[in-house]
Amino acid sequence: MQLKKRKPMRKLRNVGTPLAAATCALLGQAAPRTVDAQELAPWDFDTSFLIYSEADGRVQDLSLNGIARKELREDSFLNLTFALDSLTGASPSGAAPSNVVQTFTSPSGNASYTAGAVNPVLDSTFHDQRIAASGSWQWPVTRLTLMDVGASISNEYDYTHLGVDAKVARDFNNRNTTLSFGVALASDTVDPVGGAPVPLAPMLGLGNMASKRGDDSKDVTDFLIGVTQVVNRKTIVQLNYSLSNSDGYLNDPYKILSVVDAVTGSPVPGPAGSGLYRYLYEGRPDSREKQSLFGLVKHDFDGNVLEASLRYMTDDWGVDSQTLDVHYRWGLKDGRYLQPHVRYYSQTAADFYHTVLFDGRPVPQFASADYRLGEFDAITLGLKYGMPTKKGEWSARLEWYQQTGNADPAARVGVLTNLDLYPDLNALIAQVSYKFGRR
Amino acid sequence: MASPCEVHVADASRDLAGRVLEAVAGEARRIERKWSRYRTDNVVHEINTAGGRTVTVDEETARLIDYAANLFELSDGRFDITSGVLREVWKFDGSDRVPTRAAVAAVLAKVGWRRARWRRPELTLEPGMQIDFGGIGKEYAVDRAAALASAISNRCLLNFGGDLLATGPPADGRPWRVGIEGLAHPTRAAKEIDLKQGALATSGDARRFLLKDGKRLGHILDPRSGWPVEGGPRSVTVAAPTCTEAGMLATFALLHGPDAEAFLAAQGVRHWCLH
Repeated sequence: MQLKKRKPMRKLRNVGTPLAAATCALLGQAAPRTVDAQELAPWDFDTSFLIYSEADGRVQDLSLNGIARKELREDSFLNLTFALDSLTGASPSGAAPSNVVQTFTSPSGNASYTAGAVNPVLDSTFHDQRIAASGSWQWPVTRLTLMDVGASISNEYDYTHLGVDAKVARDFNNRNTTLSFGVALASDTVDPVGGAPVPLAPMLGLGNMASKRGDDSKDVTDFLIGVTQVVNRKTIVQLNYSLSNSDGYLNDPYKILSVVDAVTGSPVPGPAGSGLYRYLYEGRPDSREKQSLFGLVKHDFDGNVLEASLRYMTDDWGVDSQTLDVHYRWGLKDGRYLQPHVRYYSQTAADFYHTVLFDGRPVPQFASADYRLGEFDAITLGLKYGMPTKKGEWSARLEWYQQTGNADPAARVGVLTNLDLYPDLNALIAQVSYKFGRR
Repeated sequence: MASPCEVHVADASRDLAGRVLEAVAGEARRIERKWSRYRTDNVVHEINTAGGRTVTVDEETARLIDYAANLFELSDGRFDITSGVLREVWKFDGSDRVPTRAAVAAVLAKVGWRRARWRRPELTLEPGMQIDFGGIGKEYAVDRAAALASAISNRCLLNFGGDLLATGPPADGRPWRVGIEGLAHPTRAAKEIDLKQGALATSGDARRFLLKDGKRLGHILDPRSGWPVEGGPRSVTVAAPTCTEAGMLATFALLHGPDAEAFLAAQGVRHWCLH
């Protein structure tokens, strides 16, 4: 190998002082002003810490999020996101409360938990850490066409997600109209604690894993077509249609249903020798097709911005939902702002949602008592405050969420008549964010 | 100024902005009239057509000539206001028409500040020699116009064809965001700079060059040899308190060819080079 011959270092003259003096003489300026010029950092960062806390000892989530964005060239960006979640608390198992103490085998199969008489049945063995990352790259293909490709990955103790997506957006009509088309593919693997239950198989006693099998998977395909229209200098409207298909294992492996006496509403004995009442693991269809229509209006009221959106969703499970979401960004002095937020959500129950199943009747083909598939309304009220700093922007957000649902009316028999079969869910969300970088 | 000139005024009424614009445009026009080499009614024309006679110049022109004499010394002869005649043989039009060595040598006989006789306020050039303030004029105009503008508003940004000066940031304290033209896509910013106060000047050969046998010859000529400086960056941007200083440092750097960045580092100024 030949070593490159180094050029001898030449002493280069510092002309700064005499040049400054000569320039002063030329311009007739006594004391020149100073220069304050900084090259922009190529990166933009958006970081936040969020606490999501459900009342009554239910789910608690501590979430750390970061987004980094780099401008590669004009209209060309690299986006990286990162999230770390720590979930603890108790989650409703799906089993109905009763007038007696109930004992359950935990998902691992080697421990048990109990629910006192009258109390909601919460599986307190629930805890998880989730780590997620994604990257996307956006670049102009032609002067009017932007392409965006991305990939995402997330991992939990019992769940792995891998996804890829692509989107193309094209401007028309003097850039007042943008048509976009997107596709996303995901392949998820679920490897539940103790194995994925056989749908609608009975919960068994400690150490008996006959109702469980190994891991399972699902594939999700999403299509989106959208149009964004600039109406005038102050108003933008957007309309999106999306179609989502899921195939594979769509159950929540930790959700069960109670089997009760059709007259008394009391739990019935489970498998012989198990010491349990009768509970079945939920069983959902192995495919789901969702369609949704989303409309958004954004209007600038002289510096205060209103953003309102409506979403209608319908799927082949019988769940229809609608969401109204309104934000109003109210500008205060010096770039500070207050942003109230109201969201209303309402959904119908899935066709196979059953609060309980009845002993002696045929087990339906599909059944779930997951409260998230029941009929409910939810309201979110929030307020965000933002404040610019020299280098970026701080913001803080506080939101209150309340969900009120209705149990399956058929479940109101015997002792169940007077029990709360669909407890309200209250949650508080607090978030602190800091954005910095090139802004 | 042979390039678009603009002034941005923040937080101003229409009236105030109008007064700033009037002051800036007036000064730019005055400087253009007085020292443009394309006119026949000014002191530069008088000097360049004197045919060996001595020309007595006014006070402001004398200050510019003093300054040019200083630049010649400080740059060890690399910056020379008599080098403009080299354009008779060098036409940087993107073609491959490179002059012969003999043609360059013939023109070089008319170049050299040491041959001029400067006894303030009298200048005597040898017949055939010319001077040209093109390398200083635009930056000087920015500084002069900025001085007038800042008497009206300290929240202005002047931009004379890529040579800029901010008299101060807008009221909210946020800086002016300035892009340095990219080489491949002139409309796209290769770098972005936040400028609150002071000047940024850019020198480069982005669109003026010759291509000979696949080799690119930029329009920065070394007056000592009469040939283009090779091997240096294609664009140099320097930040300095005044636009004139920034521009001269950027030009000096380009004249140092491959040593441009080392030269800038030795000056201790903020700079950005594109290759």
